[in-house]
Amino acid sequence: MNTGKDHIIKSYDAELGRLTGEIVRMGELAVTQLEAAIDVLERRDERAAQHVVANDEAIDQLEQAISHDVVRLLALRAPMAGDLRNVFAALRIASDIERIGDYAANVAKRSIPLSMAPPVAPTGGLRHLAEMAATATREVLAAYRDGNVESAYRVWKNDVVLDEAYTGYFRELLTYMMEDPRNITPCTHLLFMAKNIERIGDHATNIAENTWFQVTGETLDSQRSKRDFTASPQLDRLGPPVDND
Amino acid sequence: MTDSAPAASAAATKITVRDLHFHYGDFHALKGIDMDVPEKQVTSIIGPSGCGKSTLLRIFNRIYAIYPKLRAEGSIELDGDNILAPGYSLNRLRSKVGMVFQKPVPFPMTIFENVAYGIRHHEKLSKAEMENRVEQALRSAALWDEVKDKLKQNALGLSGGQQQRLCIARAIALKPEVLLLDEPTSALDPIATGRIEQLVEELKGEFTIVIVTHNMQQAARCSDLTAFMYLGELVEFGPTEMIFTKPGKKQTEDYITGRFG
Repeated sequence: MNTGKDHIIKSYDAELGRLTGEIVRMGELAVTQLEAAIDVLERRDERAAQHVVANDEAIDQLEQAISHDVVRLLALRAPMAGDLRNVFAALRIASDIERIGDYAANVAKRSIPLSMAPPVAPTGGLRHLAEMAATATREVLAAYRDGNVESAYRVWKNDVVLDEAYTGYFRELLTYMMEDPRNITPCTHLLFMAKNIERIGDHATNIAENTWFQVTGETLDSQRSKRDFTASPQLDRLGPPVDND
Repeated sequence: MTDSAPAASAAATKITVRDLHFHYGDFHALKGIDMDVPEKQVTSIIGPSGCGKSTLLRIFNRIYAIYPKLRAEGSIELDGDNILAPGYSLNRLRSKVGMVFQKPVPFPMTIFENVAYGIRHHEKLSKAEMENRVEQALRSAALWDEVKDKLKQNALGLSGGQQQRLCIARAIALKPEVLLLDEPTSALDPIATGRIEQLVEELKGEFTIVIVTHNMQQAARCSDLTAFMYLGELVEFGPTEMIFTKPGKKQTEDYITGRFG
């Protein structure tokens, strides 16, 4: 509950504000990493890709800084009620962003072997997925920063669209592989990258859930209409399993 | 605007407060309190100074009755009997409801006599029975091991924490059903406070305990239910876990998170 009032102890407000700022900055860094990863894939730039991989360290360091701040706040301020949920959510969101950063770095890493082989399957589908994941992550970070549960809920619900796009891309890559076995190696890399991006979407929904919890004190139930493609008869030969978390 | 019955409490109700008003002369100190205190659980009452929490606690054993111009309206039922009714004897009430105050006030007599004094007022016991009762009370108050070799010494020689546990022993020696603690640890250091809180946890199997405290962490640590009072009203009353993680009222949230009320 954001009651709109300041703490009697002013430095407490400053510390909580700093925590939120660190999360937003960390999230912005992770989204930038994802965009850079797609960029280096399309430009087939091996050195730039290595640069993206190395940059993940900065996100990991921010996560450590946030963990440190959370422990400090818990020990020294003994936060209660909304403040407690605030600190708890920050810790969990930081760990989601850290995973998003890892996936972005993985995408960049796989672009290196791809750039050394002759160009094959189109990467446009992957860019489309990455843009959706980046938009979802940006929106959910803004929702977190502003305590906007409606916006967080929209992101949470919308993840199904990314899942569908992932399934579509999966099928597209399968057709390339069936066409020519020489496509199998590059397409497998692209498949893993697509899966990484699909997982980024799941972490964005986790952030939405934690934002929801922070603001309302309640959990966002798993009523989202995620489609279980594996159970669908017409897709069961072609559709990948979609993780739900 | 009050929640008299905490949803998560499955225990029987020991004290039922209904539309309780209290006046100190012209000052309207309690304004229509409704509250169900569950049996053999710990209920804490928090709120800023002057909110009426100590007043409420003191009405539970009618301490106010000794002062003129103090007036209580409404009802407080203890096991179904209205303790505010003129026919309800103070002696009966005080034997059922024990009280421990903020500052430990041992009588200026031996440790043994501090505990035995109250018992003698209510019962006639043989020397052996009395010794047994005193020992039981001191054991229950987690003080026996520290004082068993100096029962004949003056109680004023004990440390603050020991004195407070002696006061608790004195209260529970009368075998009350309800134990009221008014800021029981505010004069004690953290170690002595920890001992009292541990004691509260042990005693709740036997007594219905109501604690008034300024220390919110203490309410969080040792009570099952927490009531938040403000300006003479019961703002919110519910399971402690809910009050400290997800309070329902904005005033509660502001108070427990340390914002301007």
